[in-house]
Amino acid sequence: MVISGRVPLLLLLGLPAVVLRPSAGTVWLWLLGVLLLVGLDLALTASPAAATLSRRQPGTVRLGDPATSGLVVGNPGTRTLRLHVRDAWQPSAGASDNRFRLTLRAGEDRRTTTPLLPRRRGDLRAAGVTVRSWGPLGLTGRQRTYDVPGTVRALPPFESRKHLPSRLARLRDLDGRAAVRVRGQGTEFDSLREYVRGDDVRSIDWRASARSPQVVVRTWQPERDRRVVVVLDTSRTSAGRVARTADDAAEDGMPRLDAAMDAALLLAALASRAGDRIDFLAGDRRVRARQRIAGARDVAARLQEQMADLEPVLAEADWDALAGGVQAFGRQRALVVILTALEPSAIEEGLLPVLPVLTHHHRVVLASVRDPELGRLATLGERPDADQAYAVAAAEHELDRRARMREVLSRLGVDVVDAEAAQLPPALADHYLHLKAQGLL
Amino acid sequence: MSAALNATTGAVTTTGRLRRWLLIGLAIAAALALAVWTTRDSEEWPDPLDPRNPGPDGAQALARVLEDQGVDVRIVRSADELESEDIDDDTTVVVTATSSLSPTTTDRLRRHAAPGRIVLVDPSHLVLQAYDDRITARAGSADGVVADCTGDTALGDLRLDVEQSTVFDDVPTGRETCFATADGDVLVSDADAGIVLFGAGDALTNEQVTRGDNAAVALRLLGRDTELVWYVPDPTDAEPDEAVTLSSLIPRWIQPGLFLAALAALALVLWRVRRLGPLSREPLPVVVRGVETAHSRGRMYRRSGDRGHAAAALRRAARADVAAHLRLDRRTPPLEVAEAAARHLGARLDDIAALLTDDQPPPANDHDLVRLAHELTRLRREVRRG
Repeated sequence: MVISGRVPLLLLLGLPAVVLRPSAGTVWLWLLGVLLLVGLDLALTASPAAATLSRRQPGTVRLGDPATSGLVVGNPGTRTLRLHVRDAWQPSAGASDNRFRLTLRAGEDRRTTTPLLPRRRGDLRAAGVTVRSWGPLGLTGRQRTYDVPGTVRALPPFESRKHLPSRLARLRDLDGRAAVRVRGQGTEFDSLREYVRGDDVRSIDWRASARSPQVVVRTWQPERDRRVVVVLDTSRTSAGRVARTADDAAEDGMPRLDAAMDAALLLAALASRAGDRIDFLAGDRRVRARQRIAGARDVAARLQEQMADLEPVLAEADWDALAGGVQAFGRQRALVVILTALEPSAIEEGLLPVLPVLTHHHRVVLASVRDPELGRLATLGERPDADQAYAVAAAEHELDRRARMREVLSRLGVDVVDAEAAQLPPALADHYLHLKAQGLL
Repeated sequence: MSAALNATTGAVTTTGRLRRWLLIGLAIAAALALAVWTTRDSEEWPDPLDPRNPGPDGAQALARVLEDQGVDVRIVRSADELESEDIDDDTTVVVTATSSLSPTTTDRLRRHAAPGRIVLVDPSHLVLQAYDDRITARAGSADGVVADCTGDTALGDLRLDVEQSTVFDDVPTGRETCFATADGDVLVSDADAGIVLFGAGDALTNEQVTRGDNAAVALRLLGRDTELVWYVPDPTDAEPDEAVTLSSLIPRWIQPGLFLAALAALALVLWRVRRLGPLSREPLPVVVRGVETAHSRGRMYRRSGDRGHAAAALRRAARADVAAHLRLDRRTPPLEVAEAAARHLGARLDDIAALLTDDQPPPANDHDLVRLAHELTRLRREVRRG
């Protein structure tokens, strides 16, 4: 049971009566009258269970885009319902204007819409629909909260999308010319065409030129139908919050995982356009998401769907399991891109032992989101104190360990791409294009 | 010689100045003491008609004159003090601040002072009611009223000269009255009960006692007996339940009105306390700062004072940086890096080697470590600049 603001107002209306007849008896009489009215209203209040609720799911949006959740409130009974409905969502779903006052005549349905603006990646859930049914006098109401499930899925925003056109242009440049420069085994013969000025003279096919009046060159196209396996580490190191660029504060940044997702999306979008197949694997102690993406259509969208509800887990990654997951995609040679943090201790313990197996079968690239804060910590200020000197020493020690780790990794044949959150997606894409141009996939 | 002379004159001037300040200080202290002494009584007893109040509305002059006339004036300031006084039929008890009398203190006064004569100056309504509820008092003027007593009170034809006074009306028969005005009498005397009501309190004040025959009236009224007990009642002598309650002063509807308002406030709370559904919760993500480990390692170095490790880390980083800029291999021995750097900068090898090589003793204190860090940073900057 709830009472409305009219009850205190009604009580205050008794003040003139008290002034006219100043005694405690007047107060009690007035209170009795108000209570009688309240009781009468409560007896006439319809139960909130008389209303029916059904939800229209808001579906999936990219993080930062608005969505709407629909709620149909029906009155199948024979009495008029005066309702106050609240469609509650978890705060990060950004539900605004989610309270509705409805007067439903018998048999009437009404649709309400709650605008949502997700502020966090992942599945954001509805917290319940509260229905408050008011009595005919509007003095009292009855209220109950129902669980009407609803989910809005906020996909990773894919902010690195802006880098895609320039990388696609470079991919087109690779067609023909670039691959010619290196006559590796990985480049595929495409066709013969007439020589135009600017072509590499080394690509002239003398045999074909002898048979034709023109000079003919061979064109090559970059290798296609390679496999790219993207491995996303969601273990404890991915929870670290890092700044987007060196100038930002770490508080405005994002978790490493989100930066890694951005890089993975750009790589997948680029590789699918280049005709490669994408396999996706994410996990920590166990595999959290795993998908083969066969077709070339909407690779980024499908990956976003997979990534949507991945969250960092405070546990060490089990690289045995993850490497097993990579192997389970097939034994065909692939480009394995491991998106993790270049944390020497975490890598030494888990990843290093399984790397030889992976490098034996595949080409391995380790992409890491660098924390600009570490570099900042390693620079001595103008007026250093002892605290700062020790901090600088610790940061230098950490940087040194990282440099050693990079050496160890490159000795194992692993390429390391280490860049700040905003720079990692284009850097990884460039590395992919570089490998592609070299025919190293 | 001249230095000694100067020193002597200096000493003389110093003493002279000291004496002057001492005199000024003494004068100020004397002035303060005088001021305090002269204003002490008025500060201490500021009430009107107080026998120790020398101000315009006090009655110190009258009390002094009475003493000079040989009357034994004793001042009592509480009901207990009054009861410890010995009162016989040759004693007058005068009460000036009657508004401070509560029913119980009035009662105690009448009981204890019964053998003597009680003079109530400007009796308050409450006191008057306690004495005789038939008598009514009202404000009036007694400007130049002649005594003309109905009884044998020895006031002759003295003239009372005050601007404002209380006059008593509806006086029952058998009471002696003096100073009849158009509205009533200023003085009512009840010889049987030994009580005198005097309405012209202003006639006793320092300011007005010299006007007309006021002084004579006051002296005859209070100086009739050889002993005078001047009772200044203390309002704190009243019993707790005699205090005037607030409830008797406020309108009657306020109390039930407040009660109703409190009920409304309660309803207001009940209205607002139930919100429309429970608070919605957010499953919070894990937030870890990226460089937390480096920070804690730094703090750990600091707490354990591990300058050896810290210095080694700083030197190693500087060596790697210098080697990279001089295009040396990462694994070049420290001394060779130092040599290359010295050649590059044209500096002494010993200085550079002392900075870059590990075979130095660790810094003795934090200050040395800070200096080492600073110098390494400068070296790196110089190598970078060429």
